[in-house]
Amino acid sequence: MSENVIEIKNLSFTYPAGVEALKDINLEIKKGEIVAIIGQNGSGKTTLVKHFNGLLQPTSGTVIINGKDAKQSTTAQLSREVGYVFQDPDDQLFMSKVKDEIAFGPKNLKMKKNEVNKRVRDTLKLVKLWKFRNTHPLDLNLDDKKLIAIASIIAMNPHVIILDEPTSGQDHRGILRAESLIKKLSKEHTIIIISHDMDLVSKIAQRVIVMYNSKILMTGTPKEVFIKTSLLAKTHLKPPLITQLSQKTKGMRSDILSIDEFIEELKTKKPHSSKSR
Amino acid sequence: MDIVKFKNYSWKYSETDKYVLKNINLTIQQGEFLGIIGNVGSGRSTLCMSLLGLVPHLFYGKTKGELIVDDIVVKKAKISDLSSRVGLVLQSPDTQLTGAGTNVEEELAFGLENLGVPRREIIKKVDSMLKLLNLEQLRNRSPFELSGGQQQKVAIASVFIMEPKILVLDEPTAQLDPLGTEQVFSFIKKLAKKGTTIILNTQKIDYIAEFADRIAVVNKGRVVKVGETREILTNVELLRRNGISPTVFTKLSEELIKNRLYKGELAMTFGDAVKIMKKVKRK
Repeated sequence: MSENVIEIKNLSFTYPAGVEALKDINLEIKKGEIVAIIGQNGSGKTTLVKHFNGLLQPTSGTVIINGKDAKQSTTAQLSREVGYVFQDPDDQLFMSKVKDEIAFGPKNLKMKKNEVNKRVRDTLKLVKLWKFRNTHPLDLNLDDKKLIAIASIIAMNPHVIILDEPTSGQDHRGILRAESLIKKLSKEHTIIIISHDMDLVSKIAQRVIVMYNSKILMTGTPKEVFIKTSLLAKTHLKPPLITQLSQKTKGMRSDILSIDEFIEELKTKKPHSSKSR
Repeated sequence: MDIVKFKNYSWKYSETDKYVLKNINLTIQQGEFLGIIGNVGSGRSTLCMSLLGLVPHLFYGKTKGELIVDDIVVKKAKISDLSSRVGLVLQSPDTQLTGAGTNVEEELAFGLENLGVPRREIIKKVDSMLKLLNLEQLRNRSPFELSGGQQQKVAIASVFIMEPKILVLDEPTAQLDPLGTEQVFSFIKKLAKKGTTIILNTQKIDYIAEFADRIAVVNKGRVVKVGETREILTNVELLRRNGISPTVFTKLSEELIKNRLYKGELAMTFGDAVKIMKKVKRK
């Protein structure tokens, strides 16, 4: 089996109404990678990832998921390989108790009752929400609902987990919880994040894919991508604020991604000269 | 002029025991841009919904105290009395878009048509709103086949176009790309300058720092503190006590001070940080 968990060749997709949402996409994602997909609203991010679990089928080109051609597989088969956590948990959650919500996926995968119960317990303990097992999911606050939506996907143990805007609308604590959960999950899963939160992207992504006008504009590490400011500007994106400040400050490296890195740079190099390195 | 007055205002949903809003006293001036910040579950969304009378007229529950919006006592008014004055943009565009129009243009025209605005004027307003939010290319598309972020923009435009006297926005840019967020915020700022009262609930502290006149900190149903934006956002103890992270530039300036690279006031905005970096360099 190849090391790539996702292989996309010459993928194009046109919606029934005639809107061409993806144009000739070529992309490989390796097992265990943490990839972030960024791009302006309407650039094709969500349309692209919906091909990974069979929610959409290519108009042309091929999508290979864990060695299997997505066209030859059902959405049910693909859901064992790829789990998709929606942006709005209200779109995803529908059972009347948290524990039933988590059990739903494993039950559909025809797991034995013991195994289902174990999955529910392990998953809820992993996201630290075991205490809410008998609560109605819609009675939880947004942060906890988002975690339950992620947990319901983890419980099926897919190879790949797609998270659509995992931090949107969340408060500081929620963002920190989501970040640490994603890091934990990345040890056993391939992670694909769609986000406009450039801080999150710079903190946790190993590779960033920038989409523009239904195509992949560039890919690279966060440092490689966030120094290309004029290309980013074309796509309605900007680097994280701290990176923007480093780019505006004479004598600083232009690829600084965190406050710690910023301070370190100041301490190691007295920025007297106005030239960069 | 005070356009919004909360007087010892409390609210609880009928299905919960605890009050979600507790003894709120808050006065908002006409033309003011007020930011509301706080944790998830602090009651901020409920506060927004009470301004349009959704609480208590759409949701069941119990109020105490009084809320007056543009001289109307909310408790005694109908939602329809308030909706001609108050525009509410919700976090999820699904809840907002009417589906009354088959395309974006019609969706935007819907509210104005209901008010009997002349056709020529509607066309003019729709055109300028589409241009303003970079939606021109989407004018003939169905709102429901747009991306999440594009839908959110259409939802915002559909409220802006009504030119309400008071504009309440509940996390309106959660799905927008960075430039889209800036466009929306700077347009709101312009509206405030023209006299629209803005009440904006958001987690995007870095943005609100650039735009709001005053900030209210909400925690566990109470308005903990209200003040000038700079006074609130550089009060790092107050923020942290209420589970709010200061802006990245405030945190950077704290670290600069800690590392003896800078002495002086805490930064709040990008502009502050640029100024500070000039000082750091001179040392």
